[in-house]
Amino acid sequence: MMSVAGLTRRYGRLLALDEVSLEVGSGEVVGLLGANGAGKSTLLRTAAGLQPPDSGTVLLDGIDLWRDAVEAKRRLGYIPEEPTFYDELSAEEYLAFLAAVRGLEPGSARRRAAELFARLGLVGRTDEPVGRFSHGMRKKLSFIAAVLHRPPVLLCDEALEGFDVAASLSAKDELRALAGGGCAVLFSSHVTETIERLCDRAVILHRGRVARALRRSDWGAPQPEPSPLERAFLSIAGAEAP
Amino acid sequence: MEPLQSQTAVLRDLHRALVRRRFAQIEPKLRLELAALGLLIGAFLFWHTRVSFDGLARSHGPLAVLEAAAGLCALLAALGGALAGARHAARLHDPPGPPWLALPLPPAWLARHLAWESRAFALGAIAAAPGILFAAVGLVPLWWLGLLAAAFVWMVLAGGRIGCAVAAFVMARRAPPGPGLHPLVRTLATASHPVRGAPRRGVRWRTRPAWLALCEKDLLLSLRPTSARRRLVTPLLLGLLSLWCWALPAPPALALTEAEVRALEHVSAFALALVAAATLGEWLIALSGEDPFMVLRGLPLGVGVIWGSRALWAMAFAAALVLAHAASARPLAPEARLVFLVWTGGAALAIALLGANYGVTLFPRAEIAQRLYALSLGLAVAGSLMIPLMGWIVLLAGLIHSALRLPGWTRLEEPA
Repeated sequence: MMSVAGLTRRYGRLLALDEVSLEVGSGEVVGLLGANGAGKSTLLRTAAGLQPPDSGTVLLDGIDLWRDAVEAKRRLGYIPEEPTFYDELSAEEYLAFLAAVRGLEPGSARRRAAELFARLGLVGRTDEPVGRFSHGMRKKLSFIAAVLHRPPVLLCDEALEGFDVAASLSAKDELRALAGGGCAVLFSSHVTETIERLCDRAVILHRGRVARALRRSDWGAPQPEPSPLERAFLSIAGAEAP
Repeated sequence: MEPLQSQTAVLRDLHRALVRRRFAQIEPKLRLELAALGLLIGAFLFWHTRVSFDGLARSHGPLAVLEAAAGLCALLAALGGALAGARHAARLHDPPGPPWLALPLPPAWLARHLAWESRAFALGAIAAAPGILFAAVGLVPLWWLGLLAAAFVWMVLAGGRIGCAVAAFVMARRAPPGPGLHPLVRTLATASHPVRGAPRRGVRWRTRPAWLALCEKDLLLSLRPTSARRRLVTPLLLGLLSLWCWALPAPPALALTEAEVRALEHVSAFALALVAAATLGEWLIALSGEDPFMVLRGLPLGVGVIWGSRALWAMAFAAALVLAHAASARPLAPEARLVFLVWTGGAALAIALLGANYGVTLFPRAEIAQRLYALSLGLAVAGSLMIPLMGWIVLLAGLIHSALRLPGWTRLEEPA
């Protein structure tokens, strides 16, 4: 599980996060909604250990991120809004490097990477330098890199933005599967429809504060997935609905 | 299209905002450190030029002092211009900022802006001038110095403009022809290209410690077309050159004795080995610059592993230098050879480790790390020239100071 308590972060005079507290339980997918500048990305970056908070604590799977960063990050997967890579490495080289640093068993990591490449439509491109990838392909690779080790905590910042329809459906299935295995997923998005379909709960962030928390029962039944338009697209694109 | 006056005002406002923002990005402590370094460089120049100027004033009069000071200032300005030009060429290859060609801007406006960005590097020369000007105080009339200072500022600005103009011309010549297109448009249109390279096959998924995975990744990046690869060539070449010193025949015209030849070999091999180590440090900083902040900071890696993987390169290079020199420095007596190897190995290791420390502690600001590294080494050289062993003290102080900053790695942030 993931727990954030009293998280405050300033950028000069701007108060980006103001005493934010929230919890994501094991197996739960929590949506994070908010207007531009509401503090969503700041919250995720701070919870991922990319920037220190001014005050407050972040516990990842019970481990204090700022006291034992290495142990906490072993349990973390993070999908940034604008992913960066070693552009000169190929997608497979990059994942092999991550797998080694995370201490994953090489055979199973390779199989998992191959499976995710296939599901997200990157097969045939994995030996190219990442610098040649389109925006959507970079986002897919970032997704794969974050879920490769099946982390107990996953932070997603606009994770599905730029995905094609088939990859988006596959990625959502992967997120549900991870949650089914006990992963705590915090999923930030501007697309309310995605949050309605995917999340068990939602938190609305406004001006750096938690303005409201909602349960799935608060927003009713979402649209069926895939939607008729998605089905039409998939029939032409030749992909099967998962 | 906006009237020219309005575009000039936009450019001025943009430059003001950029200067303000960039100054704000430098931490107050770093500002103090940079100021102290500038002061020390000025003091060094004062120290070295004052005695010469005094001698000139006594033997040839104040006009000779003015000429010497003006010559040094011109040299500084030319150096600044060359730096700005080199920087401009690199920036035209990959200009920072928005996709410029997509904006409705006249190419001349854009050329002025990009040249302004690069010219900032020429201004570094101004920091060195006060030492020279103060050295002439009391030897020439003050109003002469005032005029010289004004002329120097003009020279620096003109040097920067000339350097950038030459760089723009060279880059435009390299760009493919495009009839009717402004040279800058041709340059920028060909500059932004996707990463080159063939598909990478045969990826090995292996279990290995994190530090080894990092070293392997560093090696891969140094073999691919990155800035790290460009930086790696120099230390390797200089290292080989330092070995070659032992095999160079003495020029017969100099009619040197055997002892003088040994001394020449000794000094040149030592100096080149240290310069090789310094450029290796630059490579280590460039490697830090290749690390994407979000990737490295998102991984379960402590600063010890990251620093260790970089320090390992420094140690390997120093060890390789020592072993190669042990095999090449046969003309030296065994005791002299041992002393040479210990000093060369120790200094090379300290210099390269300083680069590793700056790369890690200033991550991801590789440019600032490169500048600080160059300043620190310049200061160590200056110290060595002023007082024997002073360079060592400066080098070790830099090493200890940067090592003390290592624990702060976990709180580093990406620049806004």
